[in-house]
Parts: sequence; structure tokens; C-alpha cells
Amino acid sequence: MVTRTVDLRSDTVTKPTETMRVAMANAEVDDDVLGRDPSCFRLEEEMAKITGKEAALFVPSGTMGNLISVLVHCDIRGSEVILGDNSHIHIYENGGIATLGGVHPRTVRNNEDGTMDIDLIEAAIRDPKGELVYPTTRLICLENSHGNTGGRCLSVEYTERVGEVAKQHGPKLHIDGARIFNASVALGVPVDRLVRAADSVSVCLSKGIGAPVGSVIVGSNSFITKARRLRKTLGGGMRQVGILCAAALVALHENVEKLESDHKNARFLADGLNEIKGLRVDTSSVETNIIYIEIEENSGTTAAKLSKDLEEYGILIMPMGTSRLRVVFHHQISDSDVRYTLSCFERAVAGEPNENGN
Amino acid sequence: MLGSICACTELLAIVKSTSNIVGASDMAPPSLLETATVVEKMVTRNVDLRSDTVTKPTEAMRAAMASAEVDDDVLGYDPTALLLETEMAKMMGKEAALFVPSGTMGNLICVLVHCDIRGSEVILGDNCHINIYENGGISTIGGVHPRQVKNNDDGTIDIDLIEAAIRDPRGELMFPSTRLICLENSHANSGGRCLSVEYTDRVGEVAKKHGLKLHIDGARIFNASAALGVPVDRLVEAADSVSVCLSKGIGAPVGSVIVGSKNFITKAKRLRKTLGGGMRQIGILCAAALVALKENVGKLESDHKKTRLLADGLNEIKGLRVNPCSIETNIIFIDIVDGSRTTTEKIFKYLEERGILLMQEKASRLRVVLHHQISASDVQYTLSCFQQAVQIENGN
Repeated sequence: MVTRTVDLRSDTVTKPTETMRVAMANAEVDDDVLGRDPSCFRLEEEMAKITGKEAALFVPSGTMGNLISVLVHCDIRGSEVILGDNSHIHIYENGGIATLGGVHPRTVRNNEDGTMDIDLIEAAIRDPKGELVYPTTRLICLENSHGNTGGRCLSVEYTERVGEVAKQHGPKLHIDGARIFNASVALGVPVDRLVRAADSVSVCLSKGIGAPVGSVIVGSNSFITKARRLRKTLGGGMRQVGILCAAALVALHENVEKLESDHKNARFLADGLNEIKGLRVDTSSVETNIIYIEIEENSGTTAAKLSKDLEEYGILIMPMGTSRLRVVFHHQISDSDVRYTLSCFERAVAGEPNENGN
Repeated sequence: MLGSICACTELLAIVKSTSNIVGASDMAPPSLLETATVVEKMVTRNVDLRSDTVTKPTEAMRAAMASAEVDDDVLGYDPTALLLETEMAKMMGKEAALFVPSGTMGNLICVLVHCDIRGSEVILGDNCHINIYENGGISTIGGVHPRQVKNNDDGTIDIDLIEAAIRDPRGELMFPSTRLICLENSHANSGGRCLSVEYTDRVGEVAKKHGLKLHIDGARIFNASAALGVPVDRLVEAADSVSVCLSKGIGAPVGSVIVGSKNFITKAKRLRKTLGGGMRQIGILCAAALVALKENVGKLESDHKKTRLLADGLNEIKGLRVNPCSIETNIIFIDIVDGSRTTTEKIFKYLEERGILLMQEKASRLRVVLHHQISASDVQYTLSCFQQAVQIENGN
């Protein structure tokens, strides 16, 4: 029997569409290190425009996007960056800003909605009078949408308040905007407005937007000039990279408008899962395309077991710890996939054996 | 690509009908003004000799990229990337391989993995790519101390100087710990010179004797292998790791592959993620690289032949000097002879106006690099333009 596959592990799993494949095959390319690759140039111009910044730079991954941004803002030895204790940079980027960049991270508690209290951010900013024993705070990082709290959106008002704090005290503001398009769509705020307060943003194209590879960082001309050099140093200087950029351009044109329907699917599944005895979803936290599912103690199953059971139905999800699961939606999950997923969850939790006799 | 072929045909037609400017080295060259006027009317031919990185994907590569089987190479593995990595490991005679976005990242990862303990030192040539053209990343990003030893004109480093550079552990209170020796084959800055398998093995023995690892920057290892007539796995047998470029002479659009033991590659994969090189549906690029490996390794010898032809021709031009012994692969360094009235800037500009791109290395030196998208006719054209460029300045 051919197993249906519904891959909900992440929105990074999206495969290139037919239009992307055609675009990649026909992409106009050149050596982007010795000069400029024309397709890459077009993508960078477009991204700068969409985000309302002066310039942009294509990078192989969101991790490199954030790493470069932090390291460029904090290029003087002895720098400190304020960021959320549950942010992607802090948890899932191998501590690179410190191990490779020599930047000291100062974490501040992330609230459940992805924000950090403004007064806690201010309190974390180092007083220059103590510089004999302090590093120097050079950067504040926000993450929008916030991955680990379930794809929660930071409002434009909150972002601007943090921007004001930054301006008042001197540090720059970087937004990890891996899923900024999701936040923009969910909030109904144009991307450029949403990130206006930021000096730099890292935007993933390989997530919900569906490109096969890459992210783009945006910022001022002078910031991007430095970023380009650091990108080379880190080994991200690729040659005929227009192939990937051509796919990304298609993704931007075709898939941003599909995000709202990913959010609808997420809400539908979240509501359905919340009805299942043994599972709990905080449906008010489902703002974009991510769902965290808590497994209740009396459910008779665990994250590992449920994950395995679902796999037998062809459904792939991400176990996070012993009693937590994560599901992430993207445009290659259809309405029918969502209904199928819900029914499989129902059966798996109820302990019904798979039709295959397992 | 089709556009530039048409342009070249058109160009030749125009040239034939106006005057015999191109290829007529035995005729008195036209005045600069005459030439400039004709050039303006011409559709410029493109002969890009700046580097072998400029190679554009072929039709076969584009087809392979369009139909590549892909998956998320971070969450799991991309099947086409896996195919490429398996093939590269086999070709290089190592246990495992890892695709990376660039040669710079390949070298950076290798040095940092071998030198993962703080306080490490690496011995490398003072004129090697890692030392000169990689932004000092092994130090600024990796915290590794570089101990530079003189590169000879042939790309080697004297074995006794390598040994002398190895830190005596008894001095550890004030010394870093030497953990790695790096070689580069072929050696770019000395003109694409090849390190023999005997030399490489000897350095390997020194490394083993002192408990060090050996890394080979094999950006152009296929060129070295073709030139020496030594299979690539034999050539790198002594090395613990090798970084191999696919985007240079092999002609893939993007990427390099590092090879080494399973254990080494496991660490390398993690560091690759940390550096930001963990890409998702990477099979697209790997599919092109697989085509490149199949189709283009066999073409390197012909790149080398064309290089020798061009080098010999250039050496005949009064005012220019090429060291013929240094032409082993696909790179030529051209020096301006003292007393010649031409300069690198003038030659550079003259050639650029005729669609020929190359690199100015320093005040009196130019570099050309050949690759499979440079034809024999391109070589002839280039040679003629060089001849004219120098003749014009020297007043014929």
C-alpha cells in the first residue's frame, strides 16, 4: 500500500514547484563573487524594496543570516547582544555568535507571546559607567514570528517601542524575521512597516515562502557591504547562485499570498486537536502556521509514541520533549491533508491499530 | 549562452568584412582610433579568463537541476546531496564527504575541526589561498593561530622548514599546540603548480611522526591529478581531509566537497550548520555537480593543453614574460618585462575592450585561468589581442 506522506515537521520541507524548477533551469547566472550574478541581484533588489531597506544580501541559511547580522553589528570585540532566552538564535544556532563571533549573549525572558518585557530589556542594557567590568551592549534582537512560542507575532507597536529603547540607549535592532511574512499576513501589516524600526532583518525564503534554499538579510548600504565581506569569510560566497535566487523570486511572487491559507489550516487543525481527549492545544496561541500540542498525563501516550504511530499513517511531526509535539504548516499541505491528519491523530490517541495491522 | 555564440558569429562576420584586425598578427596594426571605432560597431566577444569559477552551467546541468530529486538536507538528508557525497568519498578514497557552499567554507571547516581545541596552531604556506584569500577566517572566526612557512616557487614548502615550525610540546607554557599541516594542490598563487604524490606522502609522514593531521586544500586537485597522471585518491592518500572545489574547472555552478573520515565529517557537518552552511533542498546544486563530475574531469587535460599553447605564444611576445616551467595546469602568470613600455593597466584595458577579461595581480603581473568554456579559437583570439596590445604600446 502506498503510504500518503504529510510532512508537518517544518515549513523548510517544501519542495520546489514546477515553476521554480523551470526558473532554475533558465536562470541567468554569473559569478557572484567576482562580480554580480544578475538573478541574485534582482532578488536582492526586490527584497530590499519589500522590506523598505537600502540593500539586501542572499545567504545560504537563516542561521548565517542571523550570524552575519549579529557579528556585523557587534564587530568590536567585547560586545554584548540582548535577546530572548527562548529565541532561535539562542537555542538553535549552535551558540555561533559566541563560539565563532566572540559576542556575549545576554538573555532576557521570552513571554509566551514571543515578546520580552520592555523594562527587562532596558534593565539588561549595560551601563557604560561600568565598562571596566562590563561588555558593551551593541544590539537587541527580536524574533518575528517567534518560533518557540508557537509562531507568535510581535505587533508593530511593540517592535517600535523596542526600537525606541534601542535608539535611546545606542544599540542597534535586529529582527530574526525567518517567518516575517507569516507575521505580516497574520497581523495584516505590510512587511516594510512591520520592520521599519529595525536596522537589519534576516528573512527566510526556504520556509513558508517555499524556495529550496536560502535567506536574505536586509539593512543599510553600509551594513550590507560589511555583511557581504563577512559572508565571504564564513564561506557563504557562492558563485552562480542565481539558480537558487531564481527559485526564490518565483517563491516571492507565488507563495506569500498562500500563507493566509496555511494559517487557516493551522487554526482548523488546532481546534480539532483540542477536541481530542488526551491532547491540549492553546488555540489562542495559534496565530500563524505553527501548533504546539501538549500531551496530557492521562492520555496513555507520549510524544515519542504518538509521533511513531502517526508516522505509520505517513504523517511526520516533530516531538519536542516527552509530552509535546510540534506541527508546522506550509503551502504543500492541502485541505485534505489537514483532515486526514486530524483523523489520524484521533485514531492514534484512541489507540486504534493502523489498518495495516500494526 | 546562445546569445553569446550568435554574437561571436556576428563579430567574425563584421571583422571579415571591415578589416583583418583579429588574428592578423603579421599585418601592421590599425591606429587606436580605427580599432576603437570598429570595436564600437562590433558585438563584443566574451572570453572570461578571470578564473575557472566563471564557468556557467551547461544544458545537461540545467536539465539535471530542473529534475533533481530533493529533500530537506538539514532535517534529514537530501537524496541527491547524498549521491554526490557518496560519489566524492569514493573518488577521493575517504570514508565520507560533505557538500559545502564554497571552498572557503571547506577549508575553514577543515581547519576548525582539526583544531577544535582552543590554543591550536596550523602550519601552512605563506602564499597559500587559506592564508591570503580567505579573510584570515581561521583566526578571526576560528581562533586558530597560523604559522606561515615559505612557499617555494613550485608550491611546496621545504620539509625541514615544516618540521622546524612544529611546536615543541616542552615549550607549551608559551607555545600554542601545532595540530595541523595544510598543503595546497594545485597551488594557485605559484601558478597552478602540482605537488607530487611523493612530496605529499613525505609531508604526511612528518605529520604522523609528530601527531599532526594533514589537510589538503584541493580546490584544483582534479587539475593536479590530470596533470600528474596520478589518480586523485592516490594523490590525497596521506591526507586526513581534503577540500575539493566543484565550481572551478569541473564547472558546477556552486560548491565544494570536503572529504575525510566518518568521525571528521560528522563534526564537519555540525560546524557547517554553525557557520550557516546548512542548506535545505540542496540537491538542485548537487545534481549539477554530479553532471560536472561525469562530464568535465575528462576535459581538464585539454584545458592544460590550451594553457600551454597560450603560454608559449605569450612568451614569444616581446615585452611579456611567462615562466614556461611553471605552466603545469590551467593558470598562467604573465609578467611585464622591465623596460617594456606597456603596463598591466594598458593591456588589461585593451583586452577588456575586446571582451577579454583577466586579473591584474599586482603592478607588473597579470593572471589568466583557463576552463572548459574557453575554446581553442578563444585562445587564438586572446593571443592576437595580447600581441596587438603590446605592439601598440611599444610603437611597433
